[in-house]
Amino acid sequence: MLVVAALRWSDQRATVDPLTGEVHSDARTSGAGAADRAALEHALRIAEAFGGRCLAVTVGPAEAGEMLREALAAGAHDALRVEGPAATVAEDGSETARLLLDGLQDRPDVVVCGDHSADRGTGSTPAFLAQRLGACQALGLIELTAADGALHAVRRLDGGRRERLTFGLPAVCSVEPADTVLRRAPLPATIAARTAEIPVARAGSMRYLRAGTAKPYRPRARALPPPPGSEPHQRMLALTGALVERTPPKVLRPATPEDAARELLDYLRRHGYAP
Amino acid sequence: MTHAGPDSVSTVVDETTKTFDVVVVGAGPAGSAAALEVARAGYSVALVERGPFPGAKNVYGGVVYGRILDELVPRWWERMPVQRWVTRRATMVMTPTQALTLDFRTQDWGKPPYNGATAHRADLDSWLAELAVEAGAVLVPSTVVTGLLRDHAGAVVGVRTDRPDGDLTAGVVIACDGVNSFLAKEAGMYRTGHEAEHLTLGVKQTLALPREAIEERFAVSGRDGVDIEMLGCTRGIPGGGFLYTNLDSVSIGVVLGLTGVSKAKTRPEELIAELKRHPAIAPLIKGGEQIEYSAHLIPEGGYRAMPELIGDGMLVAGDAAAMCLAAGIWLEGVNFALGAGMYAGRAAAAALKAGDVSGQGLAGYRTMLERSFVLADHRKLRDLPGLVLSDRMQQNYPGMVCDLVQGLFQVDNPLPKPGLRTLLRRSAKDNGVRWRDLVRDGWTGMRGLR
Repeated sequence: MLVVAALRWSDQRATVDPLTGEVHSDARTSGAGAADRAALEHALRIAEAFGGRCLAVTVGPAEAGEMLREALAAGAHDALRVEGPAATVAEDGSETARLLLDGLQDRPDVVVCGDHSADRGTGSTPAFLAQRLGACQALGLIELTAADGALHAVRRLDGGRRERLTFGLPAVCSVEPADTVLRRAPLPATIAARTAEIPVARAGSMRYLRAGTAKPYRPRARALPPPPGSEPHQRMLALTGALVERTPPKVLRPATPEDAARELLDYLRRHGYAP
Repeated sequence: MTHAGPDSVSTVVDETTKTFDVVVVGAGPAGSAAALEVARAGYSVALVERGPFPGAKNVYGGVVYGRILDELVPRWWERMPVQRWVTRRATMVMTPTQALTLDFRTQDWGKPPYNGATAHRADLDSWLAELAVEAGAVLVPSTVVTGLLRDHAGAVVGVRTDRPDGDLTAGVVIACDGVNSFLAKEAGMYRTGHEAEHLTLGVKQTLALPREAIEERFAVSGRDGVDIEMLGCTRGIPGGGFLYTNLDSVSIGVVLGLTGVSKAKTRPEELIAELKRHPAIAPLIKGGEQIEYSAHLIPEGGYRAMPELIGDGMLVAGDAAAMCLAAGIWLEGVNFALGAGMYAGRAAAAALKAGDVSGQGLAGYRTMLERSFVLADHRKLRDLPGLVLSDRMQQNYPGMVCDLVQGLFQVDNPLPKPGLRTLLRRSAKDNGVRWRDLVRDGWTGMRGLR
């Protein structure tokens, strides 16, 4: 039996240029996020329960090998890196799923992924994996155990409710970090993994979808109820605030913090917020 | 999970096979230099680091003086991750409304073999550790050393870590575990119990500024950079301030005596905010956006506060050995750590070759340190840390010097210009400086510099 922990290599401390929207990442701060570490732990437990092999796999550049060495140290039997793009690409997860499965030599019985990644991932890759494998999928799990030849899971629902699932193999699961913590790797295994060779599979290039040029993040517009009034003219006036008596906005550039504090206090007094 | 701490206790182990010839604890400059030397000598070495990568936990806003790297890395300046080469050094004496700056620049420092550079510790430490790994060292990150392993005779034979099956046995343990070295304490190598008096708290803000703004405001171009040290900007708390230019950011902060800041009941960020508002500093950092805030302890006790450096099976280097020089215009640390680590690695390799890793067998470490700048400079300047952190130097002299210079430059027509002696007497009196203290401190300073 093959249990695959599909790990996403991402920078946990990536910075975004506020002007250009360009993402700056660093291999030193990159690795598996909390959800992916939980996925590895679940994969190890499932492999232990079923007496199978645990394979840690990722689609990423050579730097991602460090994350796979950590997985080997934690107890994964094998690791595999599927050659992927060095930079973050915008795609819907289907290309990652395709590359990942094409890179595997054997058909996995269980694939465990992290829930959506910390770098604003959509969490759709597990669904594409399940579709390609023809496996059942259980996504967004907070508990996952293997017993009696089946997998048992708990999924979080809206309103604080929980859904209990029992399903057979093959299966693709994605897990939230919840309270699952990756086991601490023993020191001898950690040292051995430092020099371990990570096999590389080249499963073709990623025909990823470009989502246009990178732009700064802008929150979605909030829908507000329309202003009352049957006439468009009245509604326009209400929206723009035109013809309403008001104090025009004033831009202040106080020279010192004391001046700034004085201006603020005066404003509060004028409007009755302060004595 | 257990972590090293003041109460950590050594574990006695039976004679076992050595996992490594040398275990180096801490992948800072000292640790990486030690591991590099041991690996180059052909011995196996583990470099244990508690952070996820070397430099992950280090705080630094200073200047790296890299000449010691001549012995370690040929043409290091072509490879070292440098932000800017320091071609301007300034010492600023300040009061809340005054500032006297001694400003020096030389383009000699902007070309090989260079003098000093600003660098980010995450980059610098990773680079140094990578050199050690390339030479054959095994880097073990995210691993905390929780204690020492000893044999029945009491000699150090390895370390215990927080990982399962986490004992690492070795011929020599080199403790480079930073300013609050629990390993050196556990080994009983600190002679004094007053460590807090020998520590300062460095607090730093990194402010993002466009490269063009830095070049314009600090009058530099290309990779040239500026290092400004300040005295008198800490409300009388023993310490000082600093301002360094990086490529597209500046590091500004204060260094405060630990006991002084505790007594003053003030917060370091208030002092930094005050420093940033100072009329001599505000124009330099205007518009800077804070991108990092960090703090770290610094061992500024100098030569007199150093622990024992050698034990049976153990050496201490870098901040763990208080090898940070804070003597007025000399503020150095990374170069001492590099030197000490390099000599520790050589001494460990020599002891392993001779088959004697006892304190006697490792004594070559002290000999090498004494023959080099590491202990020679510390011994020569051993009185200056106390003088720099003294109340008079912190509270009285900055005002006296600024008043004296203001009197010299101020034009009071139609009054005649006062003489230098009159100005000196007046500024000393106004700032509560007694002549005998001035003479005594001057003598201490001169004796330290001779």
